Formats: sequence, C-alpha cells, structure tokens
Amino acid sequence: MFSGKPVKATFKCYLPPAQTDVKTSPIEPPIKLEPRFLPGEIIVNEANFVRKCISPDNGQDDLWGRLICTNFKVSFIPQEPPPKQKAQLSHLLLGQHDISLTCLEQVVTVNDTRGKRKVLGSNKKLKFNPAELILYCKDLRVIRFCFDEAGPESAKKVCLAIAHYSHPADLHLLFGFEYQGLRYHEYKANPVNGSDPKGGTQIPFFDRPSDWDREIKRTGASEWRVCSINEEYVISHSLPEYIVVPVSLTDQEVKQYSTSFSDGRVALWCWNHRNGSALVRMAGLKDPLAQKKPVEKILTAITKSHRQRQEVILSDLDKSLPNIQDIQSAFVKARQICTLDPFEESEERWLSAIENSRWLEYIRMFLKHSAEVVYNLEGRNVSVVLLEEEDRDLNCVVSSLVQLMLDPHYRSLNGFQSLVQKEWVMAGHRFLDRCNHLKKNDNKESPLFTLFLDCVWQMTNQYPAAFEFTEAYLTVLSDSMWIPLFSTFLFNSSKQCNDLLQEFAKNKAIPQDENHTVFFPPVWNWSQQFSSRDQTLFNNPMYVGKGAACVQNGEVKTFQRTKKAFSSTMRIPSTSHRNGVRAEEEHFHRRGSLVSELKADFSPVKDESPSERFFRDWFSRPADQQGLLIPLVLPSHVVLWKLFFLRWVPEACIPHGGPATVYHKVSQLVDEIETLQSKLRQYKGASPRGTPVPSSSGPPKDQTRMYFKATSPGDSPASPDILNSSFPFSPVGNLCRRSVQGTPISKFLNGAKTWLSTETLSNDTF
Amino acid sequence: ESDKEEPQLLPNESVQDMAHDITYFCPFTGALRGTVMVTNYRLFFKSMDREPAFMLDMPLGVVSRVEKIGNASTRGDVSYGVVCKDMRNLRFAHKQLEETIKKSIFEVLMKFAFPVSNGLQIFAFEYGQVFPENGWKVYDPIAEYKRQGIPNESWRITKVNDHFELCDTYPSTLVVPVNIPDEELKRVAAFRAKGRIPVLSWIHPESQATVTRCSQPMVGVNGKRSKEDEKYLQAIMDANAQSHKLFIFDARPSVNAAANKMKGGGYESEDAYQNAELVFLDIHNIHVMRESLRKLKDVVYPNIEDSHWLSNLESTHWLEHIKLILAGALRIADKVESGKTSVVVHCSDGWDRTAQLTSLSMLMLDGFYRTIRGFEVLLEKEWLSFGHRFQLRIGHGDKNHTDADRSPVFIQFIDCVWQLTRQFPAAFEFNEYFLVTILEHLYSCLFGTFLCNSEQQRLKEEIPKRTVSLWSYINSQLEEFTNPMYVNYSNQVLFPVVSLRHLELWVGYYIRWNPRMKPQEPIHQRHKELLAKRAELQKRVDELQREVTNRSVSSSSERPSSPTRSITPVQTFV
Repeated sequence: MFSGKPVKATFKCYLPPAQTDVKTSPIEPPIKLEPRFLPGEIIVNEANFVRKCISPDNGQDDLWGRLICTNFKVSFIPQEPPPKQKAQLSHLLLGQHDISLTCLEQVVTVNDTRGKRKVLGSNKKLKFNPAELILYCKDLRVIRFCFDEAGPESAKKVCLAIAHYSHPADLHLLFGFEYQGLRYHEYKANPVNGSDPKGGTQIPFFDRPSDWDREIKRTGASEWRVCSINEEYVISHSLPEYIVVPVSLTDQEVKQYSTSFSDGRVALWCWNHRNGSALVRMAGLKDPLAQKKPVEKILTAITKSHRQRQEVILSDLDKSLPNIQDIQSAFVKARQICTLDPFEESEERWLSAIENSRWLEYIRMFLKHSAEVVYNLEGRNVSVVLLEEEDRDLNCVVSSLVQLMLDPHYRSLNGFQSLVQKEWVMAGHRFLDRCNHLKKNDNKESPLFTLFLDCVWQMTNQYPAAFEFTEAYLTVLSDSMWIPLFSTFLFNSSKQCNDLLQEFAKNKAIPQDENHTVFFPPVWNWSQQFSSRDQTLFNNPMYVGKGAACVQNGEVKTFQRTKKAFSSTMRIPSTSHRNGVRAEEEHFHRRGSLVSELKADFSPVKDESPSERFFRDWFSRPADQQGLLIPLVLPSHVVLWKLFFLRWVPEACIPHGGPATVYHKVSQLVDEIETLQSKLRQYKGASPRGTPVPSSSGPPKDQTRMYFKATSPGDSPASPDILNSSFPFSPVGNLCRRSVQGTPISKFLNGAKTWLSTETLSNDTF
Repeated sequence: ESDKEEPQLLPNESVQDMAHDITYFCPFTGALRGTVMVTNYRLFFKSMDREPAFMLDMPLGVVSRVEKIGNASTRGDVSYGVVCKDMRNLRFAHKQLEETIKKSIFEVLMKFAFPVSNGLQIFAFEYGQVFPENGWKVYDPIAEYKRQGIPNESWRITKVNDHFELCDTYPSTLVVPVNIPDEELKRVAAFRAKGRIPVLSWIHPESQATVTRCSQPMVGVNGKRSKEDEKYLQAIMDANAQSHKLFIFDARPSVNAAANKMKGGGYESEDAYQNAELVFLDIHNIHVMRESLRKLKDVVYPNIEDSHWLSNLESTHWLEHIKLILAGALRIADKVESGKTSVVVHCSDGWDRTAQLTSLSMLMLDGFYRTIRGFEVLLEKEWLSFGHRFQLRIGHGDKNHTDADRSPVFIQFIDCVWQLTRQFPAAFEFNEYFLVTILEHLYSCLFGTFLCNSEQQRLKEEIPKRTVSLWSYINSQLEEFTNPMYVNYSNQVLFPVVSLRHLELWVGYYIRWNPRMKPQEPIHQRHKELLAKRAELQKRVDELQREVTNRSVSSSSERPSSPTRSITPVQTFV
C-alpha cells in the first residue's frame, strides 16, 4: 500500500534534531507507520511531503509525511514516526493522526500569498493553490497541514477531496454502509464471530418486548404493560415498535389517542418509582387548538396506574428550558473560547467569556429542572409527564438525568448504556440531524447529547464514587458520535435505521433472512474501538456499587470521619464546617459595592418552598452513593468540564498533575485489593483438609479491571510521566492554532515548554 | 441553669453573659429565636425553633466589628450586626431593654471581642490545654538550614542578629554569603529598607542556585548606590557556580516600585548591579488585596447570585491576583530549577509579597515543604520568623477595623497553596481541612502561633511559654489532616499551569457558610475506605498464609521456624 518512495535528499534537514538520540535507543526502535485501511476503505486522493504542524510557533517539532483522503478518514502517515508512547488511549479504527470524515466540522484552506482563507464545501472550486489546510474537528481538535514542499496540484486535489468526501450527499454514502456490507459477507463466509446484531454486548436494545418487560419488573411498574401497537411503526415513525402504556389503556385506545399527537407520539413510559409514581414523556398535540380529550384520557390512565391514584404533574420543557438553537449557539461559543481563541489573550476575560457562552448556565438549568422532577417523583410521590413539542430533544436529556438521579442501576456502565439506548436511541432522538452528519442543515444541528454527557459529568464530579464509569468514558463516548460505523449515533429513529438497512440490502442483493442480515452494531461493543486494556480506562476505581472493591461482601461500609481524637478531652470547638445552618434558599439580590456592607448582608429572608425544604433535608444528610443523588446546582458548583473542553490545549495541560494522578493512585490501590481478594478466593477454594497452594501471582494481569496495576515494592513510587491533565488523551499536535503572541516566559507559564520537552508523538498500535 | 444548651467550655474559658429571647436572622433559613452566650473566647447561639436545634458557635477572634443597626425601633427591637473576618456577617436583634441598668449582651460581646482595645488579654494566653505534641519545637532554624546543607563553602550562618540589632523584624538566625563579614552586613542593612538585608531562604541541593529575600534598596529619587550592597549581591551570584547571572524579582508593578523612590525606596538599577536582571512581577499591594477580598465577600455571602456568578467573580479580581502571585512564584522556581540561576526576591518591605513568593516557590521546588511538618516549618520560617506582621494584618483583638494595615496577604497565600493541591492532588501530604484549620485559627486567637508581628516580639511576649502552638493541636491528630492520596514524589518540582482555566475559587473556604454547599471530601473518604479494606484483606491473607505455613511446618518438620512469607505483599505507597 505505502510505496515507500525514496526520501528526497533535502528532507533530512527538516527533521527535528532532538529526536535523533531517541531514535538510536535500542529499546524502542522506530516503527514505520503504514496506512491502515478498513474493509471497503479506498484511497481517494493523497499528497506527499506534507507537513503536519505540531507547535504553532516554530516548525521544529513538525512532522513530515503523507496526507491521505479515503472514503472514511483523513490520514496522515509521518515519514519518521517518533517512538511509541506508552499508556495512551489508542484507537483500533483510527490512528493517532487520523480524523474520520464525519468528524470534520469545517475544511479550510489558506492561500499562500495573502493568507486568504476559504471554507471548502462539497464540489467547491479552489482558485488558488492552498498553502495550508486547517481541519476543524467536531471533537474540538484543530489540525493544520502545510504544503510548502508538496506539489501544488496534489495539495489542491487532496484538499478538494477531503472537502467533498466530508459532505456526503446522502446517508447511504456514509462509510458505515460500505463497511458493514462488506462485513456481512465476511461474517457469512466465516460465521465464527457470529452476526449478533448486538455485537456481543449485554445491553438491552429496547427493540423487543422482553427488554421492556424486564424493565417493568425491575422497577416494579405493575400497573404498566408492553403494547405492540406500533409494530411496523404503524402509529408513529419515531417511537420504538414496543412501548409501555398504562394497563388501563387498550391497544385500540392507544392507537386512537395517538392520532392527536405529533407524529403519533402518545405518552411513552420511562421509569417507575418504587412508591408508584411514574416518569412519562409525551409529545405535544398536533393541533394545539384541538380538543384536549386525548391528553385527559391518557393522564387519567396514568393516574390509575399510580398505586395511590395520585395526580399527575405536567412539566413543559419547552417553556422552562433553552431550545436547541440556544444550546447550539452556547456550545459554539464555549468551543470558540476553549480551543480557538488565543490562550493568553483570552485569559483576562476568561470567566466572563465562559459565562457569556451560557453553556454552564444551560447545564445548570437542565440539572435543576431534572432535580425538580425528582422532587415530585420522590418527595411528593406524584407521577410526572415530561412535555415537549416533539418529545425528541429536551425530553431525552431530562428523562435520562432524572433516572440517573433516582436509580443507581443507571449509574453502572451497562445501566448507563441501556439508559442511552432507551431514552435517546429508541425514543427517536434525531442523532442524524443533531450531529449534522450530512452537513446539510446547520440549523438543525445541536449538541443535545454532549450537553447530557456534560450534565452527567457534573454529577460524577460531585459524587465521584457513585458512577461505575470515568470521565474518560464519557469523553470517548462523545467522540464515538463522529465515527460513522455505529447505529447508535447515525439515525433519526430506529425506523430510519431499519428502512435504510433494508434498502441497502436490497441494492446490494443481500438476502434478508432471519439469521443473516446487514446490521449496524451499536457503539456499546467497545472492543470495536479499543483493546481490552484500554477499556479498563472506563472503570472508575472509586465506584461504590455492584462489583466494587468495598461493598462486595459488606464488611467495610460507609466510612465515617474518624472522631476527633481529642474531642472529649480537648474540647476544641468545631467552628469549621458545621455551623448548623442548612437551607435551600434562592434569595438573590444584586449588591452594588456602594451599598453599605451591612445593609446588603442583612437583607430579609424568603420562606422556604416545599421543594427547597426537600433539597435542604437531603443535603443535610450524608449522600448514599447507591441511593438518590441530587446535584448541587449552585453556580459555583457547576464548572467547566476540563477534560472535554481543554484536553487538546497544550497550554492548559498540567504536567504530572490533574485528576489523572488521583485516578492512578486509587486504581493501584483497588488493583491491590482485587489481587488480595483473588488470593483469598484461592485459599478458600482449596480443600480445607489439603494444603492450599497459593499461586504466586494474582489474577492474570490482563483480566484485572484497573488500568494501573499495583506497584511491586521495587518500583519507584513516582507518578508515571504520562500522567497529565489531558490523560488519556494527548494534546500534542491536536490543537494547532495560529501563533499565539507572547514573550518566552509567558509561553513557559502557559506550559508550552514542559509539554514540548516531554512530548512523544505517536503510538504505533493503530 | 439549662446548661445542656451550653457548649463544652475550653480550659479557662468562662461565661461572661447570657441573654434569652434573641433573634438571629439567618440569611439562609430565616429568623430564629434563641439564647446567646458570650464567653471570653466565643459567641454561642442556640435556637430550639428548628429540629434539630440550630447552633452557632464562633470564636470571638473572627469578629471584625459589632454595630448597632439604625432605627429598627418600630417594634421596640434593637438590632446588632456582627461583621466577621472569615467571610460572614451575622445579625441579631432583641427587645429594647427597659432599663439601662443592664447592658445589652452585644455590648459585652464588643468588650471581649476586642481584648487588646479593652485592656484585656487575648484568650490564647489563658487557654491551658496540654497536647502530646509540642508545636513550638517544630521549627529549629539551625536544623532546617542543616537539612538544606547549610553551612557550606559558600554560605554561613551568622549570629549578627542575635539580639535583633541588625534588623528587628528578622529572625536571629540568618544565612549569608561566606565572604561577607558581619561588619559589612551592617552597611548593607543601612541601604535596605528596615535593615532587611538579602538572606538565604532556600538552596538547590544540586545546582546551588539560591532563593534569597530582602526588602527594597533605599535608592531614592537621586539614585543612591551602595558599594556594599552591590558587592553583596555579586557574592550571592558568585556562590552559584552554575550561572553568571542573578535575577532580581521585584514583586511590585514597576510603577509602584518607581513611586517608592519618592519615599526613599526604589529598585536596583541594572547599571549598578552588573550581571543582574531585574524583573517586576506586577503583584499589587496590601490595599488592593484587601479591597479585592471585600468584593469577593460581597459576591459569595450570604447567597450566590444565580446569574452573573462568573462575571461577578471576575470583577473582584481575586483569582487574577492569585494568578499573578502564582505566576511570580513559578517564574522564580523555574529560574532556580531550569535556569540554575540564583534569585533575589523583594517587594517594598519584604514581609508580604516577598513571603508569598519565596514560600510558594519553595513549595514548588522542595517536596519536604509539601509534607505536614515541612509546611509547618515553611510557615514558621518564611512567614513567622521573617516578620510577616500577623498582628497588624489580621488585627487580633483590635477594634480598629478600618486600620489600613489589615490585609489578607496570608489568606491569599493559603489560597495559592490550595490551588497547587488542586492541580497536584497527590503531591501534598496535607488535605484541604488542614488549610481551612490554619485559616480558622489564624483568627480564633486560641493558639499563640499567629500572634505578634515578629520573632523579637514573640520572644518578648514569651509566646512559646505562655501560649499553645497551633502545631501542637495539629500534630497531635495528624490523621485528621492527612491526604490519603499522598505520593511522596519529593524530588519532583511542581510546575502548575497558572491560568484561569485551572484556577478556581476555593469554595470549601469562601462559601463554606452556605448550607447548600455540601461539605465533602468524597474522594479522600473513599480512599480511606479502600485503605481499610486493603489492610483487612492483607491481614486475612497473612493469617491464612501463616496457617498454611504452620500446617506444612508441623507436617514436614519438627523444628518450628519463623513463618516465611511465600507471598510477597504487593504494596502501594501511602
């Protein structure tokens, strides 16, 4: 594939001299990187002697190589790959320098002479020979290539090819179809792996009645039943084929009432509280002026399904939350501030810039609204119906957040994935439109799912032991939206997915029998993307839950702060944290600095509302990680998700620091605990009379759940060099903005020096 | 007496007054009716209106002022506001007292809250608690310099300031270049503000690059020079063979430094000091910092405004000041570590910004200071012995709340330390509670540690003899203050990212009064659970191992042998 053209004689002088000594190292010989292609992937265009910019200011760290555009990705093959970097997340489908075409947000070329920029779309013409190509990616990377040594024509062609192929005219043209079609034939020829549509995962898809039945049983929703009236999508194109309805409603009634709702989206059951209250989502009426009777009938049925026949609360999200355009514009601003604006210049107004983006404000609004719903379900024991005109955007966020707060099952990895499957994929969130995979309709684009992941992150940040997964998992999940191989994020509804696959099969003359069919695997089978070792990065070592290190045999329970050793004899007053005041008070009044200090601080106090009291009571007790969780929504406690927004920013990368150092430490400890546990099992497993033979090692190292293993006594306790605040991602070369102004020292202060000195650029595990 | 409502009193604490039917206007939950008690140490309020009972327990040392509030007399109530130094304000009211025979309890409060102004003794002198550890022994300058390898061929310990004759705000033990005799030190002292000559704070164990601190040179408008001072700085440079340059970090903005010439001060001209490079670090003075913290208090107390939180925070400039201080310390640490160059640090007097900069850069450079004891040594050395004027800056027991000498310089320093612990959560032996405790007792006046302005004053007042050290309290229960995640990478220099992207408001301190702010250390807690689990499992494995060994020993041999461990215990470093 890679022809390995002889290197030009002039080439050597461009190589960074610093790497020479590394290259001579006998331990890590440089491995020639070859382009790797997936089945069905073909080269569309390519250019040689392209320079990938690594640092914005000088070219000395830049990489030379071959830029390839395929029907799946933009790939860069460095001529002289730097040594492998250990312990970095490596993707099985995409190399370190690859970008999937679906991940491209904008393709920009820069004119040589005047620096004129041109945004390239599909079938655009390019009047000048590009000097630079800048790829703005949906995962917030900004990658820059220079064509100073590449032939002008081939540079132009590869740019146009990238622009063209990143704007597919039709969903069919997304690489996933080609890929899965070929995989079908592969499986057919070699059925060892089987063509399990679930790709080997245990996640319920909610595409069959049994998945819903299990959920009904799990939540104790005895007054609800699975209804198959939407089989073949006869009443609604966007609802799943099987839905859960109150037992008091007949199929005929469901069908009858559904006609009044937008896209036939009659009330969709989400979850049941043990106390009998239910969480239901519902679309608006087709004709808002029409009779409200169907709604009343449905609400009555929901009331009947409540053990205590409690009233139903309608929560209209369109009225209380930002709309999809607001969310999109907030995200665009946040991205601009975090990754595009020059680092040093944006420092001074950083806080107000973040505020002005409104991203954090929206996060808070969603968390707060969800907490209110939780109050109604838990505190007031009433059923809640989430109302949104289409029931396909805001409802997805709120319904899933509410369930995360109320039900610890969804805080496990599998539970979380089933939640996304249930409330997003099967509920018909328009991933295709909201991700704008076809780049056709910008005003339908909105990062609802990213917003949801950020909300989840806020909760993991506040309750670090309550979730089985890590922030690296959430980040990787968001990145997976931009790989067009998984059914999860490609379609607007399950019907669309089915229809398109059938059509595709027909065109490719693939028989549609029961056992063998073309399918799109969901994202949940993570071994498609990552090695099993890398998948251990998803495991939160602090998790208190099923399978967690501590709770397993119930011997060590919740840790209580040790009583102050001297509390009785010394009688030191605890002036610290506990000056008894507890409240959920939302009393706000602006204070100008001119107003006297006293007046401002001694303003009158509003009475508490019942929900405020509910929250105050909850906050005054220690949180049960396996019980109800309510997020703190004080503006001071909803903060920027740094790993997501800043992971590519070299200046923001803390060498040897950041949350990864804690992750490292706790992982090692948990690994040690698990090793001890397995030793105990070995002792116990041995016959009591015989001599138990302890094996010299713990569990096989590749089977442990932790990414970092316990150190043996000989090892140095120092933190591994790979740890930094971007871990497990590397900022190097992934964010190359235009030069940042600044003195040498300011660059140092920005961390530039430290990251450059430790940088290593590639891993070859592609 | 319903003494069940009372708090447990400290040794030598005595109730001064008590009053019932007092209303406390809690800004979070509304008015509460209850009883107030004032002792010579604390104010205690208890209300049974709520379940569970509401209590407020506050050392009088945190009181900044007590004010009778205007004409709230419509219902015959008298209202008092208590403004505190620790980011909160309280408001109370009681019925108008019919006769003037009895003083309001808040008049009593005013008396005991400001003992210095009222001819009373600060409670630290009465508190007689005995602790297993003696915190006054934590810092021994000779031992600390010895740890650094001092004296060596270039640096010596001088006793010239034994009786505080050279400089009354410096400690008695000083480290100076070997080739500068004591006589010359006196002439250098004459050229430095308040006689605060450049002395060694820290020396790099490998490169011998040093951090030295002093006050501004007395250059004045006429650009006065001092041969001795110039020679002295040259000697500091020469003591480090690795570099032929000396960096002088002037903490001030250059404008302020220039303005100081009018008052006889100023900065080193690069003409006079060859091979020296002067850098201004743009850190503002104590008045700017005081104003910034006042604004911050407005923004965070009692409630946080739902909208505009970040821009309100930005308008206080608090984090910007934190950033400048950390950036300055980082530049110093970088010069010493990466540039192998010695640095001289000063501001005007060399006891506020200079202390912040030297101690923070030493914290970045030297892992010892990141341990609990090491941090205590750092505070004793760079802050207490080198004369940070705690009495003036905090105003212990002094009613003069408008005193322009008050400033949160030390709070700012602790905040910077907290920022470092946020960026390097495994690099510090102490936890957040340790830092909060230090700040609590900065005001409480329970311990003698932060009393007085200098070592000389502390000796004169016999502070170590008459009071208890905060470190006695802390070191007697280290477990409380230990970060379970600590990994001792002592030889690693910490280079924080000094950017608002990473600097955060320390909510655990500034917003701790807000009941919606759930105090939690969940990661630490979880880690402790896991440590307990590991210990338990290790014990069981060891037991079983012993059983196995014994059984095999009894079956195979008659001689009892010490149980050999066939399993090498895996180990993480705690």
